[in-house]
Amino acid sequence: MKESAVKSPQETFERIQERALAEWDALSNSPKPRITIGTATCGRAAGALEVLKTFKEELAEKRVDAIITEVGCMGHCYAEPLVVITKPGLPPICYGYVTPGIAARLISDYILGNDPCPEFALGALEENELIPTIFDQPRFQYEKRILLARCGDIDPEDINQYIANGGYAALLKALGMAPQDIIEDITRSGLRGRGGAGFPTGDKWQICRDAPGTARYVICNADEGDPGAFMDRAILESDPHSVIEGMIIAGYAVGAAKGYIYVRIEYPLAVARVDTALRQSAELGLLGDDIMGHGFGFEIEVMRGSGAFVCGEETALIASLEGRRGWPWHRPPFPATEGLKNQPTLINNVKTLASVPPIIDRGAEWFANIGTPASKGTAVFALAGKVLNTGLIEIPMGTTLRKLIFEVGGGIPNGRKFKAVQIGGPSGGCLPESLLDLPIDFDSLTEAGAMMGSGGMVILDEDNCMVDTARYFLDFTRKESCGKCTFCRLGTAQMLDILEDITRGEGNPGDIALLEELAADIKGGALCGLGKTAPNPILTTLRYFHEEYEAHIAEKRCPAKVCPELTAFYILPVKCERSCDACVGSCPVEAIFSGKKGIKVIDQEKCVKCGSCVDACPPQYSAVIRISPVSELPPSEPRPPDKNGKD
Amino acid sequence: MTEEEEIKKQTLEILESRSRERGKLIPILQDIQAKFGYLPREAMLETANFLDIPESEVYSVATFYNQFRFVPPGKHQVKACLGTACQIKGGRIIIEAWQRELGIKVGETTTDREFGLERVACVGCCAMAPVTVVDEQVEGKVSPTRVKGILLAFDLAKQKTSKKVKKAKSS
Amino acid sequence: MEKIKLTIDGVPIRAKQGEKVLFAALDAGIYIPNLCAISGVRPHAGCRLCFVEIEGRPQPVTACTEEVAEGAIVHTDGPRIRRLQRTALELLLASHPIECKTCPANKHCELQNIASFLKVNLNTKRFRKKLRDLPVDDSHPDIILDPNMCVVCSKCIWACVEQRGIGALNYAFRGDRTIISAFGGDRLVDTRCDGCGLCAEVCPVGAISKNVKKST
Repeated sequence: MKESAVKSPQETFERIQERALAEWDALSNSPKPRITIGTATCGRAAGALEVLKTFKEELAEKRVDAIITEVGCMGHCYAEPLVVITKPGLPPICYGYVTPGIAARLISDYILGNDPCPEFALGALEENELIPTIFDQPRFQYEKRILLARCGDIDPEDINQYIANGGYAALLKALGMAPQDIIEDITRSGLRGRGGAGFPTGDKWQICRDAPGTARYVICNADEGDPGAFMDRAILESDPHSVIEGMIIAGYAVGAAKGYIYVRIEYPLAVARVDTALRQSAELGLLGDDIMGHGFGFEIEVMRGSGAFVCGEETALIASLEGRRGWPWHRPPFPATEGLKNQPTLINNVKTLASVPPIIDRGAEWFANIGTPASKGTAVFALAGKVLNTGLIEIPMGTTLRKLIFEVGGGIPNGRKFKAVQIGGPSGGCLPESLLDLPIDFDSLTEAGAMMGSGGMVILDEDNCMVDTARYFLDFTRKESCGKCTFCRLGTAQMLDILEDITRGEGNPGDIALLEELAADIKGGALCGLGKTAPNPILTTLRYFHEEYEAHIAEKRCPAKVCPELTAFYILPVKCERSCDACVGSCPVEAIFSGKKGIKVIDQEKCVKCGSCVDACPPQYSAVIRISPVSELPPSEPRPPDKNGKD
Repeated sequence: MTEEEEIKKQTLEILESRSRERGKLIPILQDIQAKFGYLPREAMLETANFLDIPESEVYSVATFYNQFRFVPPGKHQVKACLGTACQIKGGRIIIEAWQRELGIKVGETTTDREFGLERVACVGCCAMAPVTVVDEQVEGKVSPTRVKGILLAFDLAKQKTSKKVKKAKSS
Repeated sequence: MEKIKLTIDGVPIRAKQGEKVLFAALDAGIYIPNLCAISGVRPHAGCRLCFVEIEGRPQPVTACTEEVAEGAIVHTDGPRIRRLQRTALELLLASHPIECKTCPANKHCELQNIASFLKVNLNTKRFRKKLRDLPVDDSHPDIILDPNMCVVCSKCIWACVEQRGIGALNYAFRGDRTIISAFGGDRLVDTRCDGCGLCAEVCPVGAISKNVKKST
């Protein structure tokens, strides 16, 4: 398949592009109905593969000739599985929450019939007179898709769909430029690293290019370890070539011939799709010893990370790539001057690299005009937790948290009140309501005590306990600490112990001061970036939710009624519907029994505080309540001994 | 052939296609675990020999990473997610439910080797929280009752197959 | 080779280029607490005890990672330095059994020395006592390994792997479970250890010691 080397890169690429465009046109203008299904991991978790199977089977059974395309993540994870149906001459319509049953209906009513089933539709994808478009939703007013532009639109396993939608044009352009000019473009664009700290990308490239060495390497950091973050996974699963193209350009700019994609082993689908993409690029001569006949050679290898959060730290990642324990080293030397095999090594995050092709393609000025003076471009967030529209979101830097959570995210479900937004994972922090008008950019978030991180954003509501949330993150960092340095290895364990005591109601008045001291010392004294930021969840919750710590320590009260030792479940006798057994059946440990007059009673000795009974009690009764502190629990009747342990 | 010899033979088959680069230690261990479900002692020793490094170094690297196991996993592997989204939607309660129902702690395997329980840091299905992955099947919005239901389904399936086996034997 | 001139605690010092501040200071007789540093080896930088302040730098830095620079003015004492050092030491002490009387390292233990230098009580109560209860390996005729005493300084592994090229020992596990271990947690007597004792010599505490009972 390799193009002949005598042609110029321009000619070579034009031939590749021509073929891709012809295929795409044939697909777009096909007289057949087209069904597009999002089968990224989140879609699969919601049952996308069963929906896909139903479509295939039903179409075969009904002998309908239609085209089925699997695409990546469309961003609306809350409504997965998502399906787009395009009938010739009609606007594409996007359907959400599709089940095998709905799939069958869509075939019989819309593909075979003329009813577009608006009851299942999220909206059309083009202006039309039939159905409102999906873009009428408030989120689209704020969203600006650059990195996610193709996600959910193209088949990630077909390189031609990427090329037909503008792909690899930036590579061609870059190969016609001097490497130094590319670096200057990246510098002028103002792009900062999307992995968390926000180091200027152009500077990093320049340092790497200027560093003496016998070889240079480019590493794509896809070790997305923050619990609650899935942006990098979604991009690799949905548009892998955008990252590969960015890597090749980076390689050309810094003078590297070899690249590595370091991706979590927990992301098998991302690994598979990247492997496919690499094979296809090589087949077209877009990767290999002589890219498009230009003379520049670059190859990419995939390394699967074996599960260590610390390997997101660049020096630890390199250690892991060399087959060693993922222990970070003191910096300097920075990897850009002395990295893999002691050679200059450029490490960039998935989103940083995916930003490169659009910058080269559309110019540094175009990119620099998006965002804020110090944070250019867009930010991609994985929105999760207590928010209506969970999913992937891309907004210009500088958008406020409030707009992101309430307009794009649709606010808090079930009429509950917003409490905090957790940004940046275990290295980030929890910000309260009063900071929601903060613009999302690297420096504002850092100043508030959180950090941009790689883009995980989890929303907490009034039913979440902030001390328990801090405890959760410390539990994570303690488990994930690499153990090399004293502060992180032993300090996080000490902080976790204190937090566990507080959540159990065994905290002492001096604990808050000790936490503050220790947090400050770990921040100042730990070896690597992860250790230094590990106290952030504690520092921000102490700063913004101090009264919750006080309540746990002084009153043995958990204000959110979450911490099991400080909370009891109680059935209000006046509200309990005697003949209803919903709570009894829901209890996994048979702690609920029928007392006098059939009123249900919780055996506090047996209760494991899972909350199943609260969910099970029909809303018209709402008889099960949580009580904190436990000392306020009214006395209940004892369990009759003859019924104990029965059934 | 003893079990140890068998493991050794299969490990050598994996190593055969590999280069003897020290840097390839982790991919080799990944292949070995994919084959056996864990890292058998014999296989780690063979790897050390193959890469010409002390066996303690193989053990050192392997014990650093979450992925690697040193005892055979359960027939069914239960991975309860405790990513941030799962945590704030009650992931801890789900882990407690699994521990209670299986009678084991996280990281252990039931004595009949039917179930192993693991805690994972995030499977990236945050919109479906709380999530548990049983074998390769992602279960979203799990509740303590659902935990019981999943186990009951395995139980029923097992009874069915054992009945089938009995029938097949008697007929 | 051109010598670099710098000042440490007001004392003018000449050090060879590329030398780390820690060793320049130690060579000049100025003590900076440290557990994991080995001269001429890429700094492990794990113990976090050798903090110093260098004028012009906003935060204290570790002396083991800092190369000497012409005209640098270094201070080895100061409230910020001492605070970090004391916290690091107290964290180590909280995870270390204080059984000095029966410990093979008694009187030549670095933790004892540093505690006395920093004026920290060995039985400090600032943090919770978090001891491990791992089996002591006294299987080997020459070496005793007590992982409960270990401060994860890495010196024994450098001795066994880099110096001797044997590799009977290495780290195992990670985080606060990190230990020094032979392959698979095997007993030392069943490993390739030849009993040279270099690990025991470099161990700053009583985690690895010569097996006095058996060898006499």
